[in-house]
Amino acid sequence: MALPPVLVILLFVGVPVLLAVGFSFGMTGGLNRTAAMIGQDVFTADGLITGEAYAMLFADPRFPRDLAATVLVTVVTTLLVLGMAIGIAVLLRLRAGWASTMLSGLGVIPLFIPVVIASWAILNFYSGDGFVRSLFAQFGAEAPIFGFTVTGVIIASVWVNLPFALLMAASGMQGVPDALIDAARDAGAGTATIVARVLVPMAAIPLIIAGTFTAIGVLGQFTVPYFTGPNAPQQLGVDISKYFQSFNQPQQAAAVAVIVFVVASGVAAMYVWANFRSAKQEGRV
Amino acid sequence: MPTMARNLGGRILTAGLIVLVAGFILGPLIWLGMHAFATRWRYPNLLPDGLTLDWWRVVFAEPELFAAMQNTLFFAPVTVLLSAIVCLPAAYAFSRFSFPGRRIFLVGLFATNAFPKMGLFVAMATVFYGLNLMETTLGIVIVHLIGTVVFMTWIPAAAFSSVPRSLEEAARDAGAGKIRVFRTVTLPLALPGILVACVMSFLASFDEAQGTYLVGAPSYMTMPTEMYSLVLNYPTQVAAVFALLLSIPSVVLLLLTRRYIMGGQLAEGFQIR
Repeated sequence: MALPPVLVILLFVGVPVLLAVGFSFGMTGGLNRTAAMIGQDVFTADGLITGEAYAMLFADPRFPRDLAATVLVTVVTTLLVLGMAIGIAVLLRLRAGWASTMLSGLGVIPLFIPVVIASWAILNFYSGDGFVRSLFAQFGAEAPIFGFTVTGVIIASVWVNLPFALLMAASGMQGVPDALIDAARDAGAGTATIVARVLVPMAAIPLIIAGTFTAIGVLGQFTVPYFTGPNAPQQLGVDISKYFQSFNQPQQAAAVAVIVFVVASGVAAMYVWANFRSAKQEGRV
Repeated sequence: MPTMARNLGGRILTAGLIVLVAGFILGPLIWLGMHAFATRWRYPNLLPDGLTLDWWRVVFAEPELFAAMQNTLFFAPVTVLLSAIVCLPAAYAFSRFSFPGRRIFLVGLFATNAFPKMGLFVAMATVFYGLNLMETTLGIVIVHLIGTVVFMTWIPAAAFSSVPRSLEEAARDAGAGKIRVFRTVTLPLALPGILVACVMSFLASFDEAQGTYLVGAPSYMTMPTEMYSLVLNYPTQVAAVFALLLSIPSVVLLLLTRRYIMGGQLAEGFQIR
């Protein structure tokens, strides 16, 4: 019974990913032959593998910049998303009422808005003739333009990724028993201490899950930076399509994808580790 | 009276926070929505020069845009249905049976998220050419299906796990057969989780643009793929109308399922068991 989805993933994700990894290291035979023939600057390994496609990527000074910008956007977005999610979740847990309900209700709305629309709406909102600039202009002030900037990418990424993190944080903190909070308060702990020493540690696993999903999603995202981002430095998700379609360098595109995959795997490993640790603590393993 | 001052300060802070978050989340959507009814909009005015419904006529007069709507409304339900058929039995198995490699499979399904989507689609195209799936309905459905597998396996698996075994055993003791127990006890209790999984899968399919474009264009354009070319080739207002239309199904889903999603079904589904 468990086999069908595993087979679907193996055939349509596992096989292509292996092909792409092999291709990026110069294995240009088999199913990769067509792409190798059509593409430009394809390196074929003399022995088993060759890193020439990667060497070519890093020889271009733009690529390390793109990589750095992608990591920066990922780190900042993940931190902002977690910060906002924790803030709203804490309010929801400690000061339940219409205000916190409304905040959490607002926070999940992006989940239901297609990313294409969100990116484009945010671009218009912060662009040169957008609302933010118009509003400031009413008072004779000049607001910065965030459209087509790295900041714009971060704003849009936070917008898109907030709901999932918020749901995870809220569900984690709702699970903290009242008795623990009351006990901490009786012992003289202030709200800040309760948040830092009780609520956040107790909700650590859902928060780590939210963090990894956000980071992995932002690392490889295409639509958000495609609409809101600058031409340089570009996010790696856009780079993949650029190398593939504009430059006709499928091998370099595969190499970029592998680089993102390696970084994302590091993040994913943290997620798996955190999950197993919690499963062990609860005696589920 | 320090407590009263603190209360007042707290209230002002909360109100300020709500305005900020509302502006951040809703602002771009409202700004875009207003463009759908605007004749002309000159910077730095906060309101358009005039109101009109002409852009809506433009959208409905374009046969391509109409076809894209039909395609989207076809692919999303088909994807959810197929995903349910493929994944729900597996979700039950992951939840109720222990077999070798169970956890590796679960994590493996998750790991599909770690490879960047754009890179995956480029690589998938290689396999699709080999299997003659490019520019076919089946090819697009497979692309959409890939994006739903994690939701459709993990969330229902958690939902099945949360059904107490004692309830199932009690029904068995009362003489109900295996299938009857599943139909009358397990399934109804797990239904909210399955519903959330279906909604997430619907949205994932509804939202999918990159892979659909790579595999389906130009024969099959969906609303999100059409949105890419709209933004570049049409006035802002036309794209705004299209964006509003594209948001309707999701907003309806939001109103229908808010209770379950906020209730923690989604969060519950992402913990490895």
